[in-house]
Amino acid sequence: MTEQKSPETRVALKHLYKIFGDDPEGAMEHVTQGLSKPELLDQHNHVLGLSDINIDIPDGKITVIMGLSGSGKSTLIRHLNLLIRPTAGTVEVDGENILDFGESRLRTLRQETMSMVFQKFALLPHRTVLENAAMPLAVRGFAKDDRQAEANKWLDRVGLQGQANQHPNQLSGGMQQRVGLARALTSNAPIMLMDEAFSALDPLIRTDMQNLLLELQEELHKTVVFITHDLDEALKLADKLVILKDGFIVQQGEPQKILMKPADAYVEEFITDINRARVLRVRSVMRRDADLEGVDDAVDAEATLEDVIAQSRGDSSACFKVVQDDRVVGRLDMTDLVRALVPAIPTAEEDAPRPAA
Amino acid sequence: MATYDGIFEALGLEDWCGSSASSAPMSMSDLVAQSSGDGGGEQQVSLWDTPFPSLDALNDACAAMPQSRDVTKGLEQGFLSIKDSLKVVLDPVTQPLSWMLDGALYGMLATPWWIVIPALLLVVWLVSRSAALVTFVGVSLAGLAFIDQYDYAMQTLSIIFVCAFLCVLIGVPIGILMSRSDSMRRMTTPVLDMLQTLPPFVYLIPLIFLFSVTESKLFGIAIILYAIVPVIRLTDLGIRLVDKDVIEAADAFGMSQRQKLFGVQIPLALPTIMAGVNQTIMMSLAMVVIASLVSAPGLGVLVLRGIRNLELGVGLVAGLGIVLLAVILDRVTKAALQRINSVQQH
Ligand SMILES: Nc1ncnc2c1ncn2[C@@H]1O[C@H](COP(=O)(O)OP(=O)(O)O)[C@@H](O)[C@H]1O
Ligand SMILES: [Mg+2]
Repeated sequence: MTEQKSPETRVALKHLYKIFGDDPEGAMEHVTQGLSKPELLDQHNHVLGLSDINIDIPDGKITVIMGLSGSGKSTLIRHLNLLIRPTAGTVEVDGENILDFGESRLRTLRQETMSMVFQKFALLPHRTVLENAAMPLAVRGFAKDDRQAEANKWLDRVGLQGQANQHPNQLSGGMQQRVGLARALTSNAPIMLMDEAFSALDPLIRTDMQNLLLELQEELHKTVVFITHDLDEALKLADKLVILKDGFIVQQGEPQKILMKPADAYVEEFITDINRARVLRVRSVMRRDADLEGVDDAVDAEATLEDVIAQSRGDSSACFKVVQDDRVVGRLDMTDLVRALVPAIPTAEEDAPRPAA
Repeated sequence: MATYDGIFEALGLEDWCGSSASSAPMSMSDLVAQSSGDGGGEQQVSLWDTPFPSLDALNDACAAMPQSRDVTKGLEQGFLSIKDSLKVVLDPVTQPLSWMLDGALYGMLATPWWIVIPALLLVVWLVSRSAALVTFVGVSLAGLAFIDQYDYAMQTLSIIFVCAFLCVLIGVPIGILMSRSDSMRRMTTPVLDMLQTLPPFVYLIPLIFLFSVTESKLFGIAIILYAIVPVIRLTDLGIRLVDKDVIEAADAFGMSQRQKLFGVQIPLALPTIMAGVNQTIMMSLAMVVIASLVSAPGLGVLVLRGIRNLELGVGLVAGLGIVLLAVILDRVTKAALQRINSVQQH
């Protein structure tokens, strides 16, 4: 798969397996001998939850893990803070295998390094919004004033001014998840785990929350692991995309690359229904090192194809020079653009494969 | 001569049985048979009349077999022989219960009524915040006092307060332990089932032998054993029913077991626990009436008098008092429960 080159790896999952059942270790031997998930279920009555998961989660980026329901997403994200322990493999956070951590060290990790946002919000119903948001600091023993000041700051930041003294059940779903988000932010942990955090929300509110997350991320640069079953959401948020199916990874890498080069029929099927013009970016379609003679108009490398189509006013013979950070990095012909809009037709010049880092 | 002679002959146990008439005391039916004249005579027992091979029937055939009365005797002997060593442990452990009950009974009656009634009303106000309920309780207590049932009612109430308090004090931790460990639950459940199915009269018997009837802990223990079951069960249930997602969130933010218990599990289980407390209080009331058989003071004594002396009026008035207390206790605990619920509907 495509290796991310520059950003440092914050969390690394290595050869992670999870088997549910009475005797996971015993079943593990069958799996190493090559038994598949349905065979394991039929013959040994064990569920292969995760199979040989290897992911490097880059620091300061949003890594989205996507898959259909039952593909093991929730199981996977719970391995990052060891709410679920693996049957085999390692989970390394900042280079340390957290499976070796004792109970108190693991608690410290959960208090200070990782926070979590849940699909069903999981707020404390008997506490006010303020107390809920301040909970991570209360757990760490902060004084009441300190933790409430911090909680208030984040409640304001997520748009919950003036709701601090309500109880969660008095708020709408969207508001409750804002509390969930504020709670995760109050902990000031550098890693944020989000398990289908927006899936329970109405579409419009979901879009708001996605925008809020991106806005916050611009400022905070947290290492976010985001779970979703919604490809549009995944493409909107992801710096890195991991596609999961029946407990194993089908493909992972930069979303643009996955769109341009789906690894197999399953991924292809997955991405057929999306609006490619809105998702694909110029840098994924342009030609590098191409002749730039007679090309005047410029487009940004990060612009979406939709932007470019608008800019060309529908002229199918137009071509542009592609600019990134005030540098010209390539050339975009409308014919290439149009071709890229249809999946499965290879583009004229495959995005030049860079040497593996 | 007896029905089962043949069996012992077939087994070749005649020698062990002893040759002739048993020296054991005769059973009642033997005596009856003898006195009616036809005992001892050779007698054909039809198949229809064949007695069950009980100890007594077998003893007829073989003198060496024990009789059923030996079993009851043996049990009694066994119990009496461990009683003293049991008392060495149980007496000091349960002594505070006597003190608490005696103290509560004395304190409640020694304090003048014009302090006790307002104090009770204040408690009702604090737990329920309902003026209507306070009025109802005030009128009921005044009514009871008006027909001179005040002392008896207060005795009953103070016993209930002490016993229900101890039930919660002991029952909630046991329930918490049960909710945490399945093996603890497996061990405790049969005991709870037994306590709940045994009619209270039955476990009064060993208690009477163990403690003297003059000690108040006797009825205290009887009430606690009877009434503690619901608070244990519902504490266990309440904690097990706490939303798994919320528990997961508590874990994800690194709460310790203790923080989770006091900050999440108990508060969220509180409505269920309070439902258990309500039942425990109601069962204490039921038992404190029965416990008047073993000298528990209160309205039950009057009921008992009504039964023993056929004093219909006394019994009915006391019965009315008990119903009033039951309604008061039920309403007040339910109001408290409702107040908790309204703060945290989830
Ligand atoms: N505790 C468990 N015991 C047995 N099987 C489980 C357990 N948890 C999850 N699974 C199984 O693992 C698979 C992945 O579940 P999950 O991680 O919840 O999927 P997702 O979050 O992607 O919907 C499913 O087949 C599910 O039935
Ligand atoms: Mg899930």
